[in-house]
Amino acid sequence: MDLRVPSGWFFTLLGLLLSGFGVLAPNARAPLTDANVNLYAGLVMLAFGVVLLGLARRSR
Amino acid sequence: MTLAPVDYLILILYFAFVLGIGWRLRKKMATSGDFLLSGRAVPVWITSLAFVAANLGAQELIGMSASGAKYGIMTAHFYWLGAIPAMLFVGIFMMPFYYGSKARSVPEYLKLRFDEKTRGFNAITFAVMTVFSSGISMYALGLLFQFLLGWTFTASVLLSAAIVLVYTFLGGLTSAIYNEVIQFFLTVMGFAPLAILAVWKAGGWKGVSERIPPVMTHAWKYMGSAAENPMGVDWFGMVAGLGFVLSFGYWCTNFLVVQRAMAADSMSGARRTPLLGTFPKMLIPFIVIVPGIAALALANMNVGYVLPTKGDGYDYDQVLTTLMAQFYPSGMLGVGLTALMASFMSGMAGNVTAFNTVWTYDIYQSYIRKNAPDAHYLWMGRVATVCGIALSIGAAFMARQYNNIMDLLQLVFGMVNAPLFATFMLGMFWTRSTGHGAFIGLLSGTGAAALTHGLTVAEHKGGWIASLVTFRSTMAQNFWVAIAAWTTCFVVTILVSLATRPRPVQELHGLVYGLDPLPKDESKWWARPAPVAIVAGVVLVFFNILFW
Repeated sequence: MDLRVPSGWFFTLLGLLLSGFGVLAPNARAPLTDANVNLYAGLVMLAFGVVLLGLARRSR
Repeated sequence: MTLAPVDYLILILYFAFVLGIGWRLRKKMATSGDFLLSGRAVPVWITSLAFVAANLGAQELIGMSASGAKYGIMTAHFYWLGAIPAMLFVGIFMMPFYYGSKARSVPEYLKLRFDEKTRGFNAITFAVMTVFSSGISMYALGLLFQFLLGWTFTASVLLSAAIVLVYTFLGGLTSAIYNEVIQFFLTVMGFAPLAILAVWKAGGWKGVSERIPPVMTHAWKYMGSAAENPMGVDWFGMVAGLGFVLSFGYWCTNFLVVQRAMAADSMSGARRTPLLGTFPKMLIPFIVIVPGIAALALANMNVGYVLPTKGDGYDYDQVLTTLMAQFYPSGMLGVGLTALMASFMSGMAGNVTAFNTVWTYDIYQSYIRKNAPDAHYLWMGRVATVCGIALSIGAAFMARQYNNIMDLLQLVFGMVNAPLFATFMLGMFWTRSTGHGAFIGLLSGTGAAALTHGLTVAEHKGGWIASLVTFRSTMAQNFWVAIAAWTTCFVVTILVSLATRPRPVQELHGLVYGLDPLPKDESKWWARPAPVAIVAGVVLVFFNILFW
């Protein structure tokens, strides 16, 4: 098993879920944050997941 | 703190993946070596992240951010001074003997190098220790989730233990290691945003430094004497106690971390595991300590953040979770809590997989049933996994009932561990050291630790014999107890070794430095151990200067 595949899928799904939530509820804020944390953090996780999947695919 | 449906969805997604990995690996577990040692077939990028992750438990995350708020950037010494040099040492000098000797565990190396009684002492204390430390962290997690989310203590303990049980039972060490990598990534993704948001809010690192006393943002400047810094430790106690004795004792001899390197697919991989692990390890302070320091700065601004209190003092252990509540909206909050759960699981699975190996090979196969077929030991490894987790759960409930017993146990374990590195150093680098020397040295080192603790006082702790010396903090006391233990073990091992008969040198090949040439590394020159270690050393010096 190439670990990059399951971890890539995990972060892709997590990223989609989080950034999707960030788009659907753009005004979700914690007391001290002024930014759409869910959207940005979600996009970073999505990118990380896609990179892992890409690396796994390339070495196959 | 209340969780929204999206937060639960994230938690469930994480549970599905960790269990799925265990499930996918279940068919590969054909022998006891597959189950307990990963069949020595794991790629190095995975083992090096697991090496770091197995040590990065939830208690560490909470404790390090607490120390960040209490002591400032000086806390980073637990990484830069208290881990990196030892990780470089174990990769360059010790791994050739751990991996090359074909020992299946650290206690088994002691058996090959010294004798049965030294192995027995190490194996039994280690096995007991792993069960209790996973119990203690389970207890901490149970309390945390009870306090934060209102889950019952029993429910959070049993749920997290059940998940760790399923994936380690199915996929053994490989499953634990693979999951540790995902858990490591998740811990970083879950806590790095907190560091960024908190420092950003406080006006960047410059804003943070302006709002708190300078002693909080310098790692070395105030180490001249114990009175100058909040840790109450001077540079010698710090370097010798933490940087040498405790750090080398942990990173170079603790099977929990060494096991990850021993699972690597080659000698080169085993040596590079701790070396490559230094890079993520060096960066962890930025996500676990910096938020604590930023919290202190935020508390001095008028933004609505106050440091958590308990009684009439600060409750630093709540710093991390109060920051999460202030900075993370639903969604990211789910990621943060899942990361906390993940880090707890990686710490616990680390303990469980080290326990089942030491139990099966070093205790069961050595003292209870010697010549059984391998299938029997595979079965035993699985039984040990279940029993280890059951005992940990018992320890967690015991910790809830009798808090003092756990403090006492941690103190005793510290005393047993402190002298260990002297034994390994003499064993690995001096052919003349003997089994009797090692065993008596270990016992007297532990005795010296107890004696030092009994004769010194710090914050009303210790001094149960007399109070000859008073330290400014229990941390300074711990460091000096360790220094006394190591020195005693070192001297006594040498003296007893000189008085007893050594093993013939030809029996020590592959076990002691200098008898055989170090293994040749066939990888590209820049990927070999020495260049990797030099780069790590340069980066390490850079960080120390940056936060001087």
